[in-house]
Amino acid sequence: MWEMIVSELTQAMGDLARGFAHILPRIIVVVIMALVGWVVAYLAKVILRSILRLIKFDRLSENAGASQLLTKAALPSATDLLCRFVFWLAWLGFILLGVRVLGIVGLQEQIAKFFLFLPRLFVALLIMFFGLLLATFLARAALLAAVNANFPSPRLLSVSVRTIIIIFVLSMAFEEVGVAEQTMLVAFGVAFGAMMLGLAIAFGTGGKELAQQFLEKRFVHGRKDDGKEDELSPL
Amino acid sequence: MAETSFLTDDFLGQLISVGEVDILVGVPTHNNAKTISSIVETIQAGILTFFPRERAAIINADGGSRDGTRQLVMSAAIGDAQSRSKLYALRTLRSISTEYASSPASGAALRTILAAAELLRAKACAVISPESTQITPDWLAALLRPIYAETFDLVLPTYRRHRFDGILLTNLLYPMTRALYGLEIREPSALEFAFSGRLGSQFLAQNAWHEETAQVGSEIQFTLAAIAGGYRICQSFLGAKEHVGRHSADLVPAMRQTVGALFSSLEPNFSVWNAKTGSQPIPTTGAEQEFSLEPLRINRKRLREMFSVGVAELESVFQSILSPSTLGELQRIAALEEDSFSYSAELWVKTVYEFAAAYRKSVISRDHIIQALAPLFRGRAFTFLVENRNGSAANVEDDIEALCLEFERLKPYLLKIWNGRE
Amino acid sequence: MINADRADAQIIRRGGSDLPLEKDEPWYKHAIIYQAHVRTFYDSNGDGIGDFPGLDEKLDYLVDLGINTIWLMPFFPSPLRDDGYDIADYYSVHSSYGTLEDFKKFLVSAHERRIRVIIEMVLNHTSDQHPWFQESRSSQENPRRDWYVWSSTDARYHEARIIFLDTEMSNWAWDPVSKSYYWHRFFSHQPDLNYDNPAVREEIWNVMKFWLEMGVDGFRLDAVPYLVEREGTNCENLPETHAILKELRRKLDEQFPGKMLLAEANQWPADLRPYFADGDEFHMAFHFPLMPRMFMGVKLEDRKPITEILQQTPEIPPSCQWCLFLRNHDELTLEMLTDIERDYMNDSYAQDKAMRLNLGIRRRLATLLDNDRRRIELMNGMLMSLPGTPSIYYGDEIGMGDNINLGDRNGVRTPMQWSGGWNGGFSAADPEKLYAPLIQDPVYGFPAVNVLSQKRTQHSLLNWMGRLIAVRKTTHAFGSGSIEFLYPGNQRILAYVRQLGDEKILVVNNLSNAAQAVELDLRRYKGNILIEMFGKNIFPRVGELPYLLTLGPYQFYWFRLRRI
Repeated sequence: MWEMIVSELTQAMGDLARGFAHILPRIIVVVIMALVGWVVAYLAKVILRSILRLIKFDRLSENAGASQLLTKAALPSATDLLCRFVFWLAWLGFILLGVRVLGIVGLQEQIAKFFLFLPRLFVALLIMFFGLLLATFLARAALLAAVNANFPSPRLLSVSVRTIIIIFVLSMAFEEVGVAEQTMLVAFGVAFGAMMLGLAIAFGTGGKELAQQFLEKRFVHGRKDDGKEDELSPL
Repeated sequence: MAETSFLTDDFLGQLISVGEVDILVGVPTHNNAKTISSIVETIQAGILTFFPRERAAIINADGGSRDGTRQLVMSAAIGDAQSRSKLYALRTLRSISTEYASSPASGAALRTILAAAELLRAKACAVISPESTQITPDWLAALLRPIYAETFDLVLPTYRRHRFDGILLTNLLYPMTRALYGLEIREPSALEFAFSGRLGSQFLAQNAWHEETAQVGSEIQFTLAAIAGGYRICQSFLGAKEHVGRHSADLVPAMRQTVGALFSSLEPNFSVWNAKTGSQPIPTTGAEQEFSLEPLRINRKRLREMFSVGVAELESVFQSILSPSTLGELQRIAALEEDSFSYSAELWVKTVYEFAAAYRKSVISRDHIIQALAPLFRGRAFTFLVENRNGSAANVEDDIEALCLEFERLKPYLLKIWNGRE
Repeated sequence: MINADRADAQIIRRGGSDLPLEKDEPWYKHAIIYQAHVRTFYDSNGDGIGDFPGLDEKLDYLVDLGINTIWLMPFFPSPLRDDGYDIADYYSVHSSYGTLEDFKKFLVSAHERRIRVIIEMVLNHTSDQHPWFQESRSSQENPRRDWYVWSSTDARYHEARIIFLDTEMSNWAWDPVSKSYYWHRFFSHQPDLNYDNPAVREEIWNVMKFWLEMGVDGFRLDAVPYLVEREGTNCENLPETHAILKELRRKLDEQFPGKMLLAEANQWPADLRPYFADGDEFHMAFHFPLMPRMFMGVKLEDRKPITEILQQTPEIPPSCQWCLFLRNHDELTLEMLTDIERDYMNDSYAQDKAMRLNLGIRRRLATLLDNDRRRIELMNGMLMSLPGTPSIYYGDEIGMGDNINLGDRNGVRTPMQWSGGWNGGFSAADPEKLYAPLIQDPVYGFPAVNVLSQKRTQHSLLNWMGRLIAVRKTTHAFGSGSIEFLYPGNQRILAYVRQLGDEKILVVNNLSNAAQAVELDLRRYKGNILIEMFGKNIFPRVGELPYLLTLGPYQFYWFRLRRI
C-alpha cells in the first residue's frame, strides 16, 4: 500500500511539476516584463522631469493656481505629481502587458478596457489643467479692466468670470471621462443660463449709460465733452 | 523665403523717384485731416528757411486713415507744377505717403520711416507728431541742426508745458530713465525727435521687430538704443506743448506704450544700466524745461478714489508683484483721509522698482502687470497735484528733482530684487 | 556709364579700406594685387633704373589706390637676359635695385602700411651664370654635377614641347665646357634644375626659408609644371612634380603659417586643378584660360567664351583661390585656345604681326582696347567681380601704352609714368640713360598719361580705379562668394550673382558696343530691392515678371540685393 501512495504521490508531484513547468516560462516572462517596465518607466520619469524643468512647468502651474490647490490637498508639486503619475502608468502598463501573456481569459478584456480608458483620463486632466490656467488669466484680466475703468464691484466680476470658466471646464472634463455626463451637462446648462440671464438683466437696467458710451466711442469719430474731460494727460 | 516686405511696391516706387536726400521728415498719422495740412506747411517752411539748398523730403506713414489725410499730405508737395505754397523753393520738395497698416501702430510707423531714411540715405531725419498744432518752423531748426552739423546723433525735445501735464513722464519715465541710464533726458519717449542716418540704420537692423514692438511704443526703445550704443544725445527746446484733454480710459494704453516699453527694455539692456551710478545732464539748447502756471481743472477726488479701490480690489494681484512691506504700506495709506493722504516719493519708487522686477520675471502676464500699476499711479498723481497746487515753477522743478534723486538713491534696491527670488 | 560724378572728389581717389577678416578667413581671398617690377617703378638715385628706395617712396600711392598686396617681379642678381627670370644668386638683390638692406626697409614700410609683399621664386631653372651651374658644368665629378639635367644626346624627352617657339629650336642645349647637353624648357641660358636630386630640393627650400624669415608674405612660383622630366611624357604636370610642391607646402604650413603660394601654370583648367590638390599644394593659381576669353568676349560681343570656360573650371578646395588678371609682364598668351580662337584673337587684337610673340600678343591693356575708356572700365569691372583675387599690372591703372619695338616683351615693361615732366617723373637721370625709353607718343606718352595729371582730374581712369577698388572692398562676397550665372536671352549680356551668406550681389555686364536692353529672370530673388553699388541709389524691387534693365555701350552694373 505504501508503494501505491508513493507512486500516486510521485505521479501527482509529476503532474504538478509538469503543470508548473508549463506555466513557469510565462511567469518568468511576466517578471522580466515587469523589470523591463520598471526600467523604462524610471527612464521616462527622469526624462519627463528634465523636460518639465526646462519649460518651467512649476511656474506654469503656479500661474494656473493649480499649485495652490495641490498644496491645499497636501499633494506634492505639479512636476513631481506628473512624473510619478507617468512612472506608475508606464510600469503598470508593462505589468499588465506581461499578465496578458499568462493567458487568463476575462482578464484580457478588462485590461483592454483599462488601456482604452487611459487616454481619455489623460485628456480630461489636460483640459482641467489648461482650463484652470485660462480661468485664472481671464479672471485677473477682468479684475484689472474693471478697476481701471472704475466699474463698481470689480472683484465680483472677476470671481464670476472665474467660476463660469471653471464650471465649464469641469463639465468638459467629466464629459470626456464619461462620468455622470448627462448630470453635469444639465447642471452646467442651468447654472450658466441663470448667470447669463442675471447679467443681462443687470446690464440692461443698470448699465444703460455705460453701453451708450461704449457704443459711441467705438463707432463715432471724435469725442463728446462728457464732463470727464479734465482728467490728467499723463504724457 | 516668402517673407513679405513691409514696404509696398507703390511706396518703393515713390522712394526711387525721390532718390537720395540730405534731410527727411517723417510724420506718422491716423485720421489727422484737420491738422495735417498746416503741419506739413510749417515743416516745409522750416526746411526752406533753414536748409534751403539741401535735398529734402517729407514721408508720411499712415495707419489706415479714412478721412483723406494721405491725399492732403501728397498734394502739399512742391515740384514742377505751380505749387499752392507761397514759399520760394530752390529745389523740388517731395511729399510722399504710404499706408503701413490698416490700423495705427507706432512701432510700425517708425519702422517705415527708418526704412525710408536708410534707402534714401538721409543724413538727418526728424519725426514730427501730427498733433503738435503749436509747431513753428523753428522746431525744424532746433531738431535738425545739431544732427546735420554732425555734432549729435539723437536730438530729443523739451517743451513749455503746463506743470500738471505729463505726470507719468515727470513721475516715472523721466526719473527712472535718468536713474538707470545715467542721463537727464526729460522726454525719453518723445513723439518729436531727430536722429542721424547712422543711428537710424543701426536701430533698423536690430531684429527686435516682433509683434509686441510694433504695437508697443518704440520711441523709448529708440532712445535706449541710442544710449546703449553710445551715440551722442542732446536736447533742444522747441516751444509750447498744448494740453490735450484726455479721457481716463487713455491711461492704460499710454502706460503700455511707455512704461511697458521701458520695463521690457530693462532685461536686454541690463549690462548698460546696471553699473551706472548718478546721472549726467546732456547738452541742451534753450531751456531744459518750462512750466506754465495757468490753473487747470483736474478731478483729483476721482484719482484718490480709484487708487483706494485699486489697492483694495487688486490685493491678490499685488501679492504676486509687491513685497509684503510695500503692499502693507500701500494699504495703510489707502485707508487715510484725503487731507492726510500722501504717496511718498520713497514708497512710489519702491513700488515702481518692484513692478519692474516682477515684469522681468513675468510673475503674471506682463500686460496685467502694467494694468495693475495704473491705479497706483493715480494715487501718486494725486499726491503730486496736491503738493504742487500752489507752487511756483521752481517748486515744481525741485519736487521733480527730489523724486529723481530718490530713484537714483534706491537703484541698489532694484538691483537687489532684480535677481531676488527665483 | 558708371556715374562716379560725386561732388566729393577726395573720396573718389582713395581705394577704400579693407573689411576685417573673419576668423580663419584666408587673407589672399580678399587681396587686391598690384604687379610691379622694382626696375620700372621709381628711380631714387638717378641711375636710370628703378630701385627699392624708390619703390618705398611710392608706397603711399599704392595705399591711396587701395592696393593691399604687391607682387614683385624677380629682383635677384641676374645677367638680365630674361628680365630677371634668369637668377644668378637667390640670396641677394641685384645691385641696380639696391641692397638687401634696402629691400628689408621696403618690406617694413610696406607692412606698416598694411601691404603684403609677394616675391617671385623661379624654381624650375637658374641663369647659366649662377655659381651652381658654373660648378656643375665644370666637370663630371663636381658635387653639383647632378644639380642640372645633363645628357650625352639630345634625344631624350622628345615629347616635351618647346615653349619659346620664336627663339628656341630645342629643349636641349650643347655646353662646350662640359661637352654634353643640358635641359632647358625656356631660354637656352636658363638651364633647368634637376629636381630628382634631394640636395636641389633642400637648397630651394632654404632659399624660400631665407626670404620667409625676412618677412615676405608669399611666393609666386614661376613655371611649376616643368620641374620634373620623365621619358615618354610631355614632361608637364607630372605626379613627381606635384609631390615636390606638396612637400614645399607642408614645410611652409609647418614653419610659416599664413604665407601664400601662387602658382604660375599656363594650363587648361582640368590640368590646373591638381595644383590645388586637397588644399595641400598651392593656395592660389592664375586662371590663364579665362583671361584671353574675356578679351574675346568683348570683341565677339558674346558671353559664350567666358561662361564656357568658367563652367569648365573645376571646383577647387574651399581654402584655395583663383588669381585673375587682365594683363601681366608677359605676352597675352593664346596657348589655351583652339586654333580658330587663336586666329580670331590675332586678327582682332594683333593685326600688326610685330605684336605677336610666342603664341601671344605683347601689348598692354589700354592699347589692346584701343584706348577705349568704356571698354577698359568694363574689363576692370569684370576682373573685380568674377570669382577670384584680382591682379593689376602696374601702369594699367592709368592706361599706359606699350612699345613693341623694344623686343621680346619689354614693350610692356617701360618706366612708370608719374608726371608730364622730366622723364615722366620716373628718374632724374638723362633720358638716354634710362633702362628703357619712355612711351612718348601723343596718345599714350607720359605727357598725356601720367599719375599726376590723373590725380588732378576728377574723372580720370586712376580715380575711377580707386573708386572701383573701394566698392569691391565693401563686401567679401566678391572674394569668397559663390557664383551663379544668369543666361538671359540677350547673349551680349554677361550676368551673374555672387553670394556669400546672406549677401547677394548681381553683376550685369554689357559686352557690346551698343546700348542693350535685357530681361533677367530674377524670380529666385523675388522681394529684393536692387541697390546700385556705386551711386547707392535704389532700383525697383524684383517681382514675378522678368526684370528689365537697359545698359549703355560697355556699361556694367553692380547691384546689392537687399530685402527690407
